[in-house]
Amino acid sequence: MAAPSRLPLLQFCSTRVFLLRCTQGFHSEPAVQEPAYPPVIPSRTAKSKSAKKRREEDYYNQVRAASSVQDKLRLLTKLQREKYVVYPQTFTLNADRWYRHFTKTVFLPGLPEKCSVGRQVVDQENGKVPPAAGGVDPTVVDENTFSELRYLVGNGILQENFYLKKRRPFLQKEQEHFVAPFLSNLVSSVTNALAKYNPLLKMSSLDFNPEVSFYWMRGERTVPRGHRRGRADPIRFQINDQPHCQIRVPQQLEEFLPLQESVSAEVPVVQFEPNRLPMFQRQYDNNIFIGSKVTDPCSYGHTQFHLVHDRFKRDRLLKGNLADQIEVRLRANAIASLFAWTGAQAMYQGFWSHEDLTRPFVSQAVVTDGQYFSFFCYQLNTLALTVQTDHNNPRKNICWGTESMRLYEAVKDGEVVGLNDDVLKLLVHFLLNKPQKM
Amino acid sequence: MSKVIQHGVRSTEPMLLVVQVGNAARSAFGNYSHSRRCDVSGRRFFSVTCALFGRGPPSRIEKKTVDIPGLERVTYADRMHYVPGLAKPVFPDWRRDWHDPHHYRGPKNEEMKLHKANPCYVFNQRTKILEGVRQALWLTKSKLIQGLPEHILSLAEDPANQIEDQGKRVQQAIRHSCFWDTTAIRPKRDRFCPVLLRDLLHLCGTLQLKHTSLSKSILAENYRVAALWNQESDVFQVRGLIGMLLNIMTPLPEVIQSGEVLATENHTLETFCPISPTIDLQSTYVYDQKNDTGFRDGYPYPHAHTLFFIETEDSAAKFKPEQLRAKMIMFAFGNALARAKSLYGEHPQVLEQPVVVQSIATDGRLFQFIVLQLNTTDLGPDTGVKNLIWMDQDQLLYDYAKCRPLIKKKAVTMAKH
Repeated sequence: MAAPSRLPLLQFCSTRVFLLRCTQGFHSEPAVQEPAYPPVIPSRTAKSKSAKKRREEDYYNQVRAASSVQDKLRLLTKLQREKYVVYPQTFTLNADRWYRHFTKTVFLPGLPEKCSVGRQVVDQENGKVPPAAGGVDPTVVDENTFSELRYLVGNGILQENFYLKKRRPFLQKEQEHFVAPFLSNLVSSVTNALAKYNPLLKMSSLDFNPEVSFYWMRGERTVPRGHRRGRADPIRFQINDQPHCQIRVPQQLEEFLPLQESVSAEVPVVQFEPNRLPMFQRQYDNNIFIGSKVTDPCSYGHTQFHLVHDRFKRDRLLKGNLADQIEVRLRANAIASLFAWTGAQAMYQGFWSHEDLTRPFVSQAVVTDGQYFSFFCYQLNTLALTVQTDHNNPRKNICWGTESMRLYEAVKDGEVVGLNDDVLKLLVHFLLNKPQKM
Repeated sequence: MSKVIQHGVRSTEPMLLVVQVGNAARSAFGNYSHSRRCDVSGRRFFSVTCALFGRGPPSRIEKKTVDIPGLERVTYADRMHYVPGLAKPVFPDWRRDWHDPHHYRGPKNEEMKLHKANPCYVFNQRTKILEGVRQALWLTKSKLIQGLPEHILSLAEDPANQIEDQGKRVQQAIRHSCFWDTTAIRPKRDRFCPVLLRDLLHLCGTLQLKHTSLSKSILAENYRVAALWNQESDVFQVRGLIGMLLNIMTPLPEVIQSGEVLATENHTLETFCPISPTIDLQSTYVYDQKNDTGFRDGYPYPHAHTLFFIETEDSAAKFKPEQLRAKMIMFAFGNALARAKSLYGEHPQVLEQPVVVQSIATDGRLFQFIVLQLNTTDLGPDTGVKNLIWMDQDQLLYDYAKCRPLIKKKAVTMAKH
C-alpha cells in the first residue's frame, strides 16, 4: 500500500523545538506566555454554593464599578424584599438598646468635649446644668447677641402660647398647634442671628418636614418557610423619618473622635429576632434619602430638630407608669434618626457596606416637645454592618446625648417664667459648629 | 336658612354658618341641596363603626300638621300603634337632661344669641368673587395703581441689598423645591409651593447680617383675623384663617404723603352694574361684630408687614390669579383695618398716619405683589379719601422647570436636571 510515510511526530517536534531552543539564548528569561485558556472559576448559573458566591461577587463588583452615585444607590436598593420598618418615635419598651444593636452604635452620656461649653457632667435629677464659669463663653458669642437670642426665644414662646388667639386644638394635635410653629420660628430666627458667627449657616439650606430614609442590612437568619426555606438571608431594615426641620450644609462637619480610636463602651447584643421588639415587616420601595437628591450641593448634614409626637409626650408616659421610658425613647429617636441621616450622607458620597468609610460622618440633633430639650451628637464610623463585612470590623458608631432639660418653667400672664440659659447656650453651640478651616 | 349640626370641638367663638344656597358650585350634591342637613363641608363622626367624615343620612320631609282651633284631632296615641284614618299624634319635644355630644341639635338661626336683623356679607379665605380685583377695590374703597411704589423697587435694585450669589442661590432654591425635595421624580404642587417660599425666606433671612432691623420680625402661622365695616348701609366683614404673616415691631412707613392722599378724593369708585358688589360673599344673619387682629394686647410685634398666600392641599382653595389677587387685597385690607381700629378707635375717620400692609401670593411659579395703604376707615359713603393699592401681578419667577427629557421624533431635546 502506498501509505504516506509518517515521520514520527515526536522527532519532528523535537527537532523543531530543539531548533527553537538553540536559537534562543540560554540566559534569556522565559517569555511570558499568555494563558491559553480562561481562568477556571465556578459557574454562574449552576445550583451550587460556589455559583451563588460567584453571583454575589459579580454583584459587588458591579456596584463597585458603578459610574455614578445614583447608579450605585439604584443597584443597592433595586431588589425589594420584606424588611423591618424601624420607627424612630416608637411605643416599644427599651427600644434604644435594640436600636443600638441594629445600628452598631455605642451611647456615651454627655456631649463630646468640643460641644461641652466648658462643663462635663450633666446633673441627671432635674436636668439642670452647673453653670459654666463666667457665664456666656466670650470667645464664641457676645452678650448682646445672646440677650437678643433670649428675647427672640421668649417672644417665640409667648407668641404661640399667649399672644396668638387660637381655638382649642383637636385631639392629639396639640404639638402641631402650639409647638411646631414655635420650633420653626426658633430655628429660623436663631440661625439667621448666628449667621454672622458661622459662615456655614449662610450657605446652608433649611428644610421643613423633609423625608429622611435609609436602608441597610444587619445580621442573618434562616428563612423559616416558603420557597426560599432553609437559606441564609440577611435581615433588612428601613427607616423613614420626618424630622420637623433640618439644616443641610455644603461642607462636612469635623469629626469628634478619630476614626481608629476605640471606645470603651460596648455595643449591646440582642439575641432575639427583631420582631420580638415588636417590629413589623413590610415590602416597599427601598429609599436612601438625606432630604434632597444627590445633585443638591448641600449634601452634608448639620442639625436636625425633632418634635415629639402627642402620643409619646411626657404626661402620657407618666400617666401610663412609664416614667423611666422618657429618656429611653428620646435616645432611641436620636439614634435611629441620626444613623439614618449620617448613613444616607455617607452613601451619597459613594460608601457602602463593602466600601467602608474613609472618614467619619458627623451630625447633630435636638429632640424637643416644646418645653424639654435634649441634645445629641452622632458620629458614623462604619457602614459595614452585614455579616460578611462585620466579621473583623472593630469600628463602632458613637452617639453622645444629654438628658432632657427644661427650656422654660411656665408661661404666666404674658411672661416666660424660668427661661434656662444653659439650654440656649447649648443650642447656640450646636448651631455654631463648623469645620475648622472656615 | 339651613341648619348645621355641629359635633366635636367647642370653641369660645360662635361658628358661622356655612351653607349658601344657590351657589352653582355647591349644588353639585343635586337632590340634597335643598334639604336641611345639607352639609357641604362634611361633619365629623366619632363613632368607630362608620366612616369618619361624610354627609349625614338624608332628612325626611315632614308633613305639616294643620291645627284648627276648636277641633280636637283624633290621633292613634292611645292605641299605641298606627291606625289608618287617624291622625298622627304630636308629642311634646323630649330633651335629654344631660348634654350628649353625639345627639346634639343646635338652635335654629332665629334662636341664636347673635342673630341680627340685617345680613352681614363675609369674605372668608375660600371666597372667590366674580368681579375679582374690581369688586375688591369697590369693597375696600381703593384706587389701584399698577406697578409697585418706587422706594420698594429701588430697594430691590440696590446691589447693597442683594444676597451673595443671588442668582445662583435662587436657582438652587428653585431646583431644590421643584426637583430635589422628594424621592419621586417631582414633588406635588402643594409640597413644592411652601418649600419654595420657605427657601426664599431663608435666603432673605441671611440678609440680617447687613440689615439688623430684619431681626425685629417674626412669622406667625394660622392666625385668625376679623375686621368689620359698614359700606352704603351694608355690613361687611373679613374673617379667616391666614397662612403666614410677618409681624414687625415698628410700623411700615407710608408710601404717599398726606397731600397726595387728599387728591384721591376726586377718584370715583368703579361700579359694575347690574352685578351687586356683594355677589359671592357669604351672607349670614348670625354674626359677631368685632374687629380682631388675631393677637392679644401687649404683643411685641404689633404691626403687620407682609401676608403670604400659598397654594395648599385644600382643593376648594385653588385660586385663579384674578381671584387670588382679590383675596390678597381683601385680607391685607382686613388686617390694616383691624389694626387701625385698635390704634385709633372704632369711629370712622381719615387716618393721620396711614397703615401700610404688604402681601405676596404664589402658586409656585407666578408671584403677585400688593402694597396697600389704608388712608381712611370712613368707608360708608362713596366719596371722600380713598385707600391706595399698588399691584404687581403675574410675575414669573422662572419660565419652566422640567426634569424629564422631552423626546420628540426619537430625538431628546431637553437634558435631565
